[in-house]
Amino acid sequence: MSASASSRKTPRVGRRRWVKSKTFFSDAQDELTLIGGGATQLEMDLFDAYSPSSDRAPIHTQPIPEPVEIEQGDLFGYLAESPEPTPQTSFEGMEKPSFEVIFSDGRNARFQHASSLLESLEAQDVHIEFQCREGYCGSCRTRLIEGEVHYTEEPMAWIDDDEILPCCCIPKSPLRLQ
Amino acid sequence: MAYTTFNRNNFDTFAQPMFFGEHVNVARYDQQKHKIFENLIEKQLSFFWRPEEVDLTNDRKDFMDLPEHEKHIFVSNLKYQTLLDSVQGRSPNVALLPVVSLPEVETWIETWSFSETIHSRSYTHIVRNIIPNPAVVFDDITQNDYIVRRAETVTAYYDSFISLSNYYTQLGEGTHTINGETIVVSLRELKRQLYLMLVSVNVLEAIRFYVSFACSFAFAERAKMEGNAKIIKLIARDEALHLTGTQHMLQIMARGKDDPELAIIAEECRDDVIAIFLEAAEQEKEWAEYLFKDGSMIGLNKDILSQYVEYITNQRISALGFDPIFEGRTNPLPWINAWLNSDNVQVAPQEAEISSYLVGALDSEVDTDDFGDFDL
Ligand code: FES
Ligand SMILES: [Fe+2]
Ligand SMILES: [Fe+2]
Repeated sequence: MSASASSRKTPRVGRRRWVKSKTFFSDAQDELTLIGGGATQLEMDLFDAYSPSSDRAPIHTQPIPEPVEIEQGDLFGYLAESPEPTPQTSFEGMEKPSFEVIFSDGRNARFQHASSLLESLEAQDVHIEFQCREGYCGSCRTRLIEGEVHYTEEPMAWIDDDEILPCCCIPKSPLRLQ
Repeated sequence: MAYTTFNRNNFDTFAQPMFFGEHVNVARYDQQKHKIFENLIEKQLSFFWRPEEVDLTNDRKDFMDLPEHEKHIFVSNLKYQTLLDSVQGRSPNVALLPVVSLPEVETWIETWSFSETIHSRSYTHIVRNIIPNPAVVFDDITQNDYIVRRAETVTAYYDSFISLSNYYTQLGEGTHTINGETIVVSLRELKRQLYLMLVSVNVLEAIRFYVSFACSFAFAERAKMEGNAKIIKLIARDEALHLTGTQHMLQIMARGKDDPELAIIAEECRDDVIAIFLEAAEQEKEWAEYLFKDGSMIGLNKDILSQYVEYITNQRISALGFDPIFEGRTNPLPWINAWLNSDNVQVAPQEAEISSYLVGALDSEVDTDDFGDFDL
């Protein structure tokens, strides 16, 4: 974990929360700035801002809160792979597991805090296909060359014995993937 | 074997294959040979939605403002989707229920088909909203050459299986003379047709539908027809489950986990499977040509859609244990994943617009690379 990550004061945004701007053609103003107040507040702000029935100003005309220092490319990381703001007390010898994930084409990442392998990879700019993100569509199917994973929900999509569904598992060991 | 609606035989459920074993008697789910189908049923039930809950009032205005060639793209795409769901709303029931042998598989088929009827009803909801006389759209589905040609391929495997299966149910195996025509009924041939029919169903739901989804979402990507996109998101969520169901059936068969004869048949049919995928991919590319005949739209044209056809065909055929059949290995429409994901779909009219903002990867930057090199 990098030092800059630990100094961030904005709370981690709750369960997976990816935010996408309106369209690829949206102008710079539409860029969403992550704001403090936690997941619920963020969701509410986005919701109200774009709700047709809302009488609140669109989000880009609201006063923009102090942006948190995030290096570009780390923006994903901030969401999925940043540590909890209030982590459990840690004891020596009981550190959170952290595993290296290496692809045969050379891409690599480190799984530390994310709630799924898919989120962790996305957070580190390793692109994996997805649709459901819940283990039933098979879009994220990936070949596991070495290592072991733990499924956080029962995978339903059909996979071969040497394949995993990154959207619903976390590593139990360092992984080599294809 | 004559069909019976309540089989009195005593038999061991776990010894039954998915199809062509004993007819199901008690609809019981305490013993499950293939638990995956129970999981699919539960998931599908949790997805329940009604088209009328999605507000489409903004789409009407959007549609009127579309240039003519984009109206053509939108309406043709909708016609195709209507055709595909008309077929899917009835065919799994008609084809598979008379020959199914496991209660969880039987109920999955019924649950699956039922969800297709919701899709069909949603097309009427959409068409009614954008066009004063919906009949203009629906009547053309059986007349339009481009649609009919694909309808023939889509339905051929179903129809052929249903016809042979009817003879089997009434007359059993053997050589029969019906109205002067000689009909040979063999269980092995029926199983072969069953396997290929399921492959063609998988092609329908996992490739053809995804091509149509890409068109629907390309409009929404430009903030047009977003109510429609919201309905399509819900349909896409169901289809993801259906294609998984069919992949399981096909893999259970091919791996001999159920009926050893089907494993042999699947092995023999490998070339036919590749041919079915290839034919569908070619047809979808032709369709792309028809869609964009009067002009492309921002973000999508014939070439990109054809690349997507190849990409998605590779994905689906490899899930069945085959090598990819096309070159392209990366998704030419990376933005589609966010639309296909339904994480944030909330079905309530006042929220009709919100899902388009709260989906997808955290990517608030315009990245022109995402468009590939399309021309208008
Ligand atoms: S994204 Fe659907 S199974 Fe992983
Ligand atoms: Fe459908
Ligand atoms: Fe379907």
